[in-house]
Amino acid sequence: MQITDQAVAIAVEHVSKSFGPTRALIDANLIVRQGESRALLGRNGAGKSTLIAMLTGLLEPDAGEIRVTGEGGVDEGPGADSIACVYQKSTLVPWLSAAENISLGAYPTTSIGAVDWRAIRSRAVSLLSEWGYESIANRIVDELPPLERKIVEICRAMSRGPKVLLLDEPTAGLDEGGVRELFIQIGRARERGVTVLYVSHHLEEVFEVCDGVTVLRDGRDVLTAPTEGLTVDDIVVAMSGEPIARVEARTASTGPLSDEIVLEVDGARIGSVVQGVSLSVRRGESVGITGLDGAGHIQLAESLAGQRPLDDGIARIHGAPIRSGQVDKAIRSGIGFVPEDRHEGGFVPALSVEENTTLTILDRILTRVGLVSGSKRRSRYDQLSTAWSIKAERPSQAAEELSGGNQQKVVLARALASDPEVVVLLHPTAGVDVTAKNSIYETLHALQASGRSLLIASTDDDDLAICDRVIVMSHGQITAELSAGYSEHELVSAVQGGTVTASIPTASTPPAARAPKR
Amino acid sequence: MSNTTVETTSAPAIAPRRGSRSESLTAWARELSLAPAIILAIIVGSFVSPQFLTANNLINNVMVASSVLGLLVIAESIILISGYFDLSLESIVGIAPMVAVWVVVPQATGGLGWELNPYLAILIMFVLSAVIGTITGFLVARLKLNAFMVTLAMLILLRGITVGISGGKSLSGLPPEFLFLGSARPLGVPVQVWILVVVVVLAAVFMGLHPVGRKLYAMGGSSAAAAAAGIKTTRLTMGIFIFGAVLASFAGLMQTGRIASATASQGDGMIFTVFAAAVIGGISLNGGRGSMIGAALGVLLLGIIQNILILAQVPAYWIEAIYGLIILIALVFNHFATRRARRGRELLA
Repeated sequence: MQITDQAVAIAVEHVSKSFGPTRALIDANLIVRQGESRALLGRNGAGKSTLIAMLTGLLEPDAGEIRVTGEGGVDEGPGADSIACVYQKSTLVPWLSAAENISLGAYPTTSIGAVDWRAIRSRAVSLLSEWGYESIANRIVDELPPLERKIVEICRAMSRGPKVLLLDEPTAGLDEGGVRELFIQIGRARERGVTVLYVSHHLEEVFEVCDGVTVLRDGRDVLTAPTEGLTVDDIVVAMSGEPIARVEARTASTGPLSDEIVLEVDGARIGSVVQGVSLSVRRGESVGITGLDGAGHIQLAESLAGQRPLDDGIARIHGAPIRSGQVDKAIRSGIGFVPEDRHEGGFVPALSVEENTTLTILDRILTRVGLVSGSKRRSRYDQLSTAWSIKAERPSQAAEELSGGNQQKVVLARALASDPEVVVLLHPTAGVDVTAKNSIYETLHALQASGRSLLIASTDDDDLAICDRVIVMSHGQITAELSAGYSEHELVSAVQGGTVTASIPTASTPPAARAPKR
Repeated sequence: MSNTTVETTSAPAIAPRRGSRSESLTAWARELSLAPAIILAIIVGSFVSPQFLTANNLINNVMVASSVLGLLVIAESIILISGYFDLSLESIVGIAPMVAVWVVVPQATGGLGWELNPYLAILIMFVLSAVIGTITGFLVARLKLNAFMVTLAMLILLRGITVGISGGKSLSGLPPEFLFLGSARPLGVPVQVWILVVVVVLAAVFMGLHPVGRKLYAMGGSSAAAAAAGIKTTRLTMGIFIFGAVLASFAGLMQTGRIASATASQGDGMIFTVFAAAVIGGISLNGGRGSMIGAALGVLLLGIIQNILILAQVPAYWIEAIYGLIILIALVFNHFATRRARRGRELLA
């Protein structure tokens, strides 16, 4: 098929969009022809989500033009009627049938105004049969495997008639076979004339499904090219900018590290998410652990803090095994934990700041008769709040009344109240402003200086930049390890599954074998 | 550590860092936020009837009438603070003493015919209620079934069993061991009043100062945060349902002692008043907020209002309706009284 001869399906021309002082898109362009399959790529914050929101009509551009051409060359404009958008997160109602989900919100009715179930079913069957899945029309969505749910989702998005299909991370949650089948289905859809806009972090997928790529960086389209003749490296360079930029800006730990191993993980396995991971963390070392969504780094970190059990393998602190799956045992073994979402599991909103910070050590601040000692609690809180500069009006102020940055410090202080040797942090700076972020980094540096070890599970570049080394996971396994001073290019490429870096793809490499830092 | 940080804290002069005196004052003000309403009710009461403001009326009528309700409110409040609720407490008030009396009184007066020792019967009663609490706790905490449906079903089941074993009739002819709780007056004050005061004080100390009490607040405020801090939430949930059932069975025993018989309808409809008193007393239905002293004052306020209605000779048929209206007014009043505080909080959030 000669795509260049086809009519234009999506035309995004010189589009700009700002949110207050933040410029999300600056003169962005994207031309997709009918029947083409185009990958839209970029790192977090590059402007992808803003562009998608404009294509689906959720946002209006500040400047520039967006045209979506329907059948017969009519400009339909952006919106759900012209572009079928399938998001990473499921939008199906789990306990309704596939057929009802497809007609959800637009029920056909009979002459007396009742819901026309026959029409719903026949419409679902005709839509699903295009993909060869008509047999699932009457099944409850909750009982369907992930791929078939995805198909239902696609059918619903396309039921309003669009010929352009936008897929946002469609392979998330699918297993190997599901991914294969989805790719086959996408190929067939293209033969039927469907235009595909494919958004994904998995670069290898792009080469399988797409004719061309468009890379966004800092709100601009920096690369548009056919996939043929392109390498993963080319895309990584385009995504990250200059391949050797910002290296000298990185700072890691303060001095030479001791050789004393504090935390050791051996063959950790959690379902299919973490598949036999081994690593070790030395005294005073900060280790970053990162990966794409579902790579297993979050689950591994959570299991070390007792939040979830290990199915196999063992974690040890100074050689002593930690009982898996029990938070209080993990705390007693010397592990402090900062959860991923401070609003979900970080602090108790209604309780006072001092109670929140001492919640993990209630059994250490008792009077002789076994009641909580107000004075012991206050003195522990005073130490913690001074050390980590928590700014509360008074210790008895409710935690919900604090600013986001201070709440995050309360969560941090809670993790440190038990004087842990190892602190496990998930996304420690998520949702805090730059000042609070820097203050948290200072805190983490101070912790390292006092001999504690840090394990930071994060996808934030800045969080990883303060680590002595960064472990990269993919599909439940460690695939790369980067020492401080790595370039952004190396990180992007390792996380996205590229092959260019000279990183050591094993965790068992003894520390001495690695090149000295800086 | 960072001099560039700009935070919206008030100046130390306004809120001294170590101002423990002003802190404890505000803490008490929060505990006693119902005090103005109670004083108002007392003033109104003393105008309505000269009998109202007498020690005899306040102790023998207001306090005694509040004691059974008070124990239930304490039990329910602890469960509410922990983030759950239990509707079946009112049917435990019925079934527990019914079973205890059933195994004691002779067959001729409707008993089972075992004619057990009364103390053994009371022990059986406590074990039975602990078993009930364990079942409820297991279904809610372990199987994660909806607390509303589980405790509603339990309420209906226990009520049905009570009617079943009594044949719908009252069992009387109770031994003195049962009557003690209804008639004894150590130091001239009914034993029920003593029990209420002791239970409230113990509950206040337990919830305010004992580590388990604080863990219950944490769990009710945010179950995920409590679990992440190493608190065994499943175990605690089981515990509060067992505790609530045992305390409710004791309240039922007190009631049976006072009226000198076990009736099939004992406790009927009480759960609504229990919830009303707890909420008026500042216990949040969403968990994590409220205090035992506040809940006890909620009981006291309702007790005073009920007493005034009786003294004012409001026709008995209308008392229920007026009672309901007053509860509504109290809730609306409470909403506006706390709105300012909440608004400040929302602005910050």
